[in-house]
Amino acid sequence: MISPITTAAKTVTAAVLVLLVSAAPVWGQSLFNAAGLGTPVEALDGRARALGSMGIGLGGPSIMPTDPGGLARLGISTGVMAASPSWVDYSASGDRSGSFQGNRFPLVGIGYPFFGGMASVQFGSFLDQSYEVTDVSDVDLGDGPVRTSDAFSQDGSISNVNLGFARAINGHFAAGLTVGRYAGSLDRTLVRTYGDEDDEGNVDQYIESGVWSWAGWSFTAGGSASFDGLEVAASVQMPSMLSGNASGETRGSDRRFSLPIQYRLGATANLGPSVLLHSSVVLADWSKTEDELSDAYVTSGSGFGVGLELSRARLLGKDAPLRFGFRRVGLPFAFEDESVSERTLSSGFGLVLNETAGMVLARIDMSIERGRRSSANLTENFWRATLSLLTSGF
Amino acid sequence: MSVFGAYRPGVAVAALGLLAAFTAGCEEQTPVALGGEPLPGSPITVTVEIPWSEFASNLEVFGGYGSAEDIGQGVLAEDYAGVLDARTLLRIGAYPRIATVQDTTGASRPDSTLTILGGRFVAFFDPVQSTNTAPVMLQLGATTEEWDPTTATWDLAIDTINDQRSWAEAGGGSVTPFAQATWDPATGDTAVFILDSAQIATWTDTTDLSAGARIAVLDTGERLALNRALIRLDARPSSNPDTIIELTATTRGSTFIYSPYPQPPPDGVRIGGAPSWRTILDLNVPKVIDGIPEFCAIVSCPHTLSPGQISYAALVLTSRLTEAAFQPTDSIRLDVRPVLNRASMPKSPLGVSLIVSPFGRSVSPEAFGSAPGLEIEIPFTGYARDRLRGTDPSGNPTPETLALLSVIEPFSIAFASFEGPLSPAEPYLRLVLTIGPPVELP
Repeated sequence: MISPITTAAKTVTAAVLVLLVSAAPVWGQSLFNAAGLGTPVEALDGRARALGSMGIGLGGPSIMPTDPGGLARLGISTGVMAASPSWVDYSASGDRSGSFQGNRFPLVGIGYPFFGGMASVQFGSFLDQSYEVTDVSDVDLGDGPVRTSDAFSQDGSISNVNLGFARAINGHFAAGLTVGRYAGSLDRTLVRTYGDEDDEGNVDQYIESGVWSWAGWSFTAGGSASFDGLEVAASVQMPSMLSGNASGETRGSDRRFSLPIQYRLGATANLGPSVLLHSSVVLADWSKTEDELSDAYVTSGSGFGVGLELSRARLLGKDAPLRFGFRRVGLPFAFEDESVSERTLSSGFGLVLNETAGMVLARIDMSIERGRRSSANLTENFWRATLSLLTSGF
Repeated sequence: MSVFGAYRPGVAVAALGLLAAFTAGCEEQTPVALGGEPLPGSPITVTVEIPWSEFASNLEVFGGYGSAEDIGQGVLAEDYAGVLDARTLLRIGAYPRIATVQDTTGASRPDSTLTILGGRFVAFFDPVQSTNTAPVMLQLGATTEEWDPTTATWDLAIDTINDQRSWAEAGGGSVTPFAQATWDPATGDTAVFILDSAQIATWTDTTDLSAGARIAVLDTGERLALNRALIRLDARPSSNPDTIIELTATTRGSTFIYSPYPQPPPDGVRIGGAPSWRTILDLNVPKVIDGIPEFCAIVSCPHTLSPGQISYAALVLTSRLTEAAFQPTDSIRLDVRPVLNRASMPKSPLGVSLIVSPFGRSVSPEAFGSAPGLEIEIPFTGYARDRLRGTDPSGNPTPETLALLSVIEPFSIAFASFEGPLSPAEPYLRLVLTIGPPVELP
């Protein structure tokens, strides 16, 4: 007889696998998508978001691609998936304002014991690139001015598919290596229409479009160390050039872009029996990319975050650690020669659904962030929620 | 080891449901950027006028498509515009042979023994398409020679392949005059001819190929359009001889014959008429544009044109005065269709219309009368792209010959006239080109 419990576990596993292969696209989350190569979308789970983390050194097991060393601490097979909707209000110079919303799936991953260590497959988001813009003007077709509407749409994103392996060196140290493959595509289309919306006349649309597929490699090496009351982790991600390869019918050319080496360092300290303090930092110099972009400015992609976790909180009779955090990270691309950053205040909680012998077998992590992205002429205030589901032991 | 513990089998489903609800409740909206910067691939739009010699050749006018009978409408004229005579011939349908009448007891029953005492031939005219504003005198007569409604002309009663017979007297042969009537457009659209029983009996035999009615206008200088005609019959039923009943007989075909028949224009474009005229031309969209100062001031020349850059293409014709006798009194609707095999002209089949509107390109009648010199654009953007590409979207070769014709052939005795290649206002090709660089990555 098949146990309903086993069935439930299989359901979760199947769901993780389905999400792994479907790798949902990243949708528009910011007007800064229109700058350069887009807006970074980090592959973080709900706990990392709540603690304002850069995705490293969170303490305990981690399946995020930015923390190869943390992977070794999983111990048992583990899967994670995260969803992250956001609601954005923007205001810009010229009394322009508006709002939009979107959803993304920044992280889907699974880890499984292998060769005395832990192997992993992760699908993570990297850059969000979707946006639209419309420009209206007039042209003279010989019989007087005719209204033209140029609608440019960019639809696409860059994701990262990672294969990783990590192993504990001894009781204190662990090391891991992740090989990532950049993937995704970008569809850029310009449509010029003639005439008013309700009277387009008989002048046909002009359509110029191009589709590029993204390709590139990344190698992330990392390690973590665990001492009494303190966990420290560091990683370095070395990417290859990012190639945008034009499809056969695309008139536009292939391009290659430099990606920065990203250094990450994070630590989590026990301040007391139930209080954890987390801090992390990322360093990424995108300046080399600026020379390869035609119409964007590059700023720093570095940032830092700090967070506090109160681990003894309980909800519905279960462990439900409360988390608070703050992070500030630079957006690498801007419309003008200025520094643009994203700042967020976050809070959240985890809910341990099942735990055996100190091992978390099922947990959901929820975070809510209130943040702002601002430049001289554009400010975005946003709410961003992240919900992740972690299961183990299947 | 289970994931959710022995007593929590629904937790997995609940967690997944929460995740699904969490994400599904958020509608996707693509951010709309603020703009202000040049858009990637932003194009320019230029209008180019290609002269006749650079895009077209071999213009020919063909006539004789369809028959005046196809219109289903008659034309009457006497020395209209100093030249045109036209008469309408009609076949009369079978008279009703039975009617339901009340007998002397008041009961209704069919009566097949009817005595026709006389009647009225009623003609319905189109006041809009008729040129007269004053009353005109009309004459109704009975044809006496065999004639064919499909092929009859002013000079020929029958003009089929194996049988060609002239009228004994041009214009419908010798006709037995029946009656005269006046039509005053100010009082209505009908003219009524009073007929006696002997005259009505003339049209009793529907197998008689010489039986028919001919209507002519006696007053000169007008052209009348006859919509239809019928006969009101006064009959006495045998079942109730004291009663007169009215029966209706309709016509079963009509045509009109006219003189003179217009000759093909030596230097122009003609479209329409009855039988209808078509103008055909070979068209070649230039692959390279050069030497046009206005264009080269914006786009580097020579410029190799691609199909996607053609946002609009139209043949521009300039209207000119049509011969007065055949000037339209109503809008002319133009069509343009590919000629699938020019070598087979004038019998080549035509492709589908290149004009989006099923009613074609409408041109007001003034363009061929009181206000000639009007530029008329006949758009065929899709065809121009295919012509430049060499194939249509299905991969079939694009015909290089176009036919200009009336949407409905024939539609009217009137036709449209346009300036030809040798005229200062010769046809030209108008292109609206949208030319932009390829969209590149940022």
